[in-house]
Amino acid sequence: MTPKPTGPPDGGWGWVVAAAGFAVNGLSYGVLRSLGLAFPDFAEYFDRNAQETAWVSALALAVQQAASPVGSALSTRWGARPVVMVGGVLTSLGFVFSAFAHSLLHLYLGLGVLAGSGWALVFAPALGTVSRYFSRRRVLAVGLALMGNGASSLLLAPALQLLLDNFGWRGALLLLGAVTLHLTPCGALLRPLALPGDPLALPRSPLAALGLGLFRRPAFLVLTLGTALVGVGYFIPYVHLAPHALDRGLGGYGAALVVAAAAVGDIGARLPCGWLADQGWVPLPRLLTIFGALTGLGLLAVGLVPVVGNEDSWGGPLLAAAGVYGLSAGSFAPLTFCVLPELVGIGNVVQATGLVMLLLSLGGLLGPPLSGFLKDETGDFTASFLMCGSFVLSGSFIYLGLPKASRPGTPPPEMGELLPVPQVALLSPGDPHSTLDTTC
Amino acid sequence: MRALQGLRGPRAPSLPLLLLCFLAALRRSLEHGLSTAAPFTSLPVQEEMMTKSSNLSLESHSISMTAAPFTSLPVQEEMMTKSSNLSLESHSISMTVEHSNMPVEKNITLERPSNVELICQFTPSGDLNSVNVTWKKGDKLLEGNYLVNATGGILYTQHRVAVINSKQMGSYSCFFGEKKQQRGTFNLKVPEINGQNKPLITYLGDSVVLMCKCQDCLPLNWTWYGGNGSVQVPIGVPVNDKYVISGKHANETRLKITQLSEDDQGTYLCHAIFELGESEGHVKLVVLSYLVPLKVFCAIAAEVVLLVAAILLFEMYTQKKKKPSDDGKEFEQGEQLKLDDSNGIENSGPRHRKNESVGQ
Repeated sequence: MTPKPTGPPDGGWGWVVAAAGFAVNGLSYGVLRSLGLAFPDFAEYFDRNAQETAWVSALALAVQQAASPVGSALSTRWGARPVVMVGGVLTSLGFVFSAFAHSLLHLYLGLGVLAGSGWALVFAPALGTVSRYFSRRRVLAVGLALMGNGASSLLLAPALQLLLDNFGWRGALLLLGAVTLHLTPCGALLRPLALPGDPLALPRSPLAALGLGLFRRPAFLVLTLGTALVGVGYFIPYVHLAPHALDRGLGGYGAALVVAAAAVGDIGARLPCGWLADQGWVPLPRLLTIFGALTGLGLLAVGLVPVVGNEDSWGGPLLAAAGVYGLSAGSFAPLTFCVLPELVGIGNVVQATGLVMLLLSLGGLLGPPLSGFLKDETGDFTASFLMCGSFVLSGSFIYLGLPKASRPGTPPPEMGELLPVPQVALLSPGDPHSTLDTTC
Repeated sequence: MRALQGLRGPRAPSLPLLLLCFLAALRRSLEHGLSTAAPFTSLPVQEEMMTKSSNLSLESHSISMTAAPFTSLPVQEEMMTKSSNLSLESHSISMTVEHSNMPVEKNITLERPSNVELICQFTPSGDLNSVNVTWKKGDKLLEGNYLVNATGGILYTQHRVAVINSKQMGSYSCFFGEKKQQRGTFNLKVPEINGQNKPLITYLGDSVVLMCKCQDCLPLNWTWYGGNGSVQVPIGVPVNDKYVISGKHANETRLKITQLSEDDQGTYLCHAIFELGESEGHVKLVVLSYLVPLKVFCAIAAEVVLLVAAILLFEMYTQKKKKPSDDGKEFEQGEQLKLDDSNGIENSGPRHRKNESVGQ
């Protein structure tokens, strides 16, 4: 009746959008990951201990994820492009402001709140847009976009060290502000796309824009529960992998190598896993469970590996464990976002992404402080990594409750609802749908 | 007097004789002490030890006078066990003929006065007895009091040094003279101070904290020196707001400098004073102006603005290119819309299908 816009292009300008997503990811998470390099300088200058300076990145991560629904709500109203461009300016301002900091509080406000809010405005809209531009090759494209994370931290870490050596931490923060300003051109590349399944009318109230109605869907509820648990453990290595390596006796370069192993594993896994997932041999929710479980096991290995390292050793077993963790975490991340279109429909993907980020933030707020507390109580990071591994494992177990998706190759049904499998009936007794999905 | 003289008669030879013996003993022991004083450093050291451990000095001294004068070795050992408030450290080096090309050195870090025992062991290729053993401090030959022992084909030599002040610090070497002379060296040093290896980058008007610390050592006193070039001026002597010297623990010192200016650039030295000597660390300070990173920032920001403009212009250009052909298409679809709406629901079935084919 109304003219139907064509489906996702699955190519063409979509690859440019995927590249923009790559850059967005690199300039948000990648910068966040590498920021830890400046912490010793902060700690020394402001005369505070490591835990208090680590709060800067924990706060930035928490704000970025907690405010994500705001970013997705704004982009539902005005489109992803302007929101991401504004987010880039905001992040850059946060860095510039923190370059002139005279107390740790200024850093919390500048890097944590301001830059974190800027990042909140860029991540979910950009990733949601990538999802919208693809259907058959979605996991591959999202995996490609999420690779920006690892690639950026590999490049940024030595670059940041160079900046710190030549400009001090103030100059380094100022120049990082210039670097993160590149989020704005990335936003400019996110051309709006009209798709079937888009809500016809703009949401009337801000609350509706947040997409809270999505929580009424049982499949989404299962996903959010599992994601919340996984979120507790998932971000601990961001904060504590390097200190753990140093704690085990490795020198500065050895620890950097361990972090690099995780980052390389992370990057390396995304494309192959993306291609694998798109083949459709295994349903996406099952893949989610598998890689979630592997991530949890990898974290357990990182915690349990005994490394009697010294300043010169390169810490073999810890390196291997970090690599396994990186590989599985790298495969896990794109799957989390790619499962969404099948659970909630392509029209609601941006909002769903924002909500998932919010839940991850709850875990992210809880995880690193808990890990730090365990470290203070027990003396080393073994208990911390065991805890985060078990949280990830339990989240993955919950993902078993997700309904099996239809093949990614087939176009999604009109409303995007998944027809539940009999197993799901146990978890969602009130589900009105009665037809069974027999295909895998 | 007469009685004494009378008494002196039969006993006369004993008193002067005793006095003579006493004097001879005194002289001999003095001579012995003096003769060994120059090359053999431990004796004057022991006398110094007596002045330091003042509560013991009198005892030690008197023992050496009344005891048999030539028992110098046990006397010195007695003195050492008496001044037991000094700890004893033992360090050893072993050498073999095979590794004769490699210099054998051991660094010993001393902070407080203590007795140090240096032991060299050497496995000669030939006859044990033909090996000549000597000790040297720096280039000076040490004579006398070192033990040489040979057990199981290995030659041991031991030299004890009582280290009280900086004069006893330095390099002590043991030499085994066989076909080729083997040398082992002990370097007695005060603890090293760690400053900062990388220069500290700061900005005008900012403040900075320079820190020096040493592992496991407690210097008596710290001082800071700063200056450009060769002139080292002590800092903090006229106490003012600009420089604040503090230190949380005894093994570290912090110098806080506020209101930095370009003149504050340069290398700062932190000087630690120990009982046994002095040690220092370096910290290099660089003061930049904010313009330095600001210029780079502005360049990058300009580049970003250009990028955004280029992207948006490119998009407007490609859309303009599409528009002439698009206008036709949109017109067609618009017509279809009107037709659909007017037809209503009855014909929605076939219309629906037709629409789909057009839309795809």
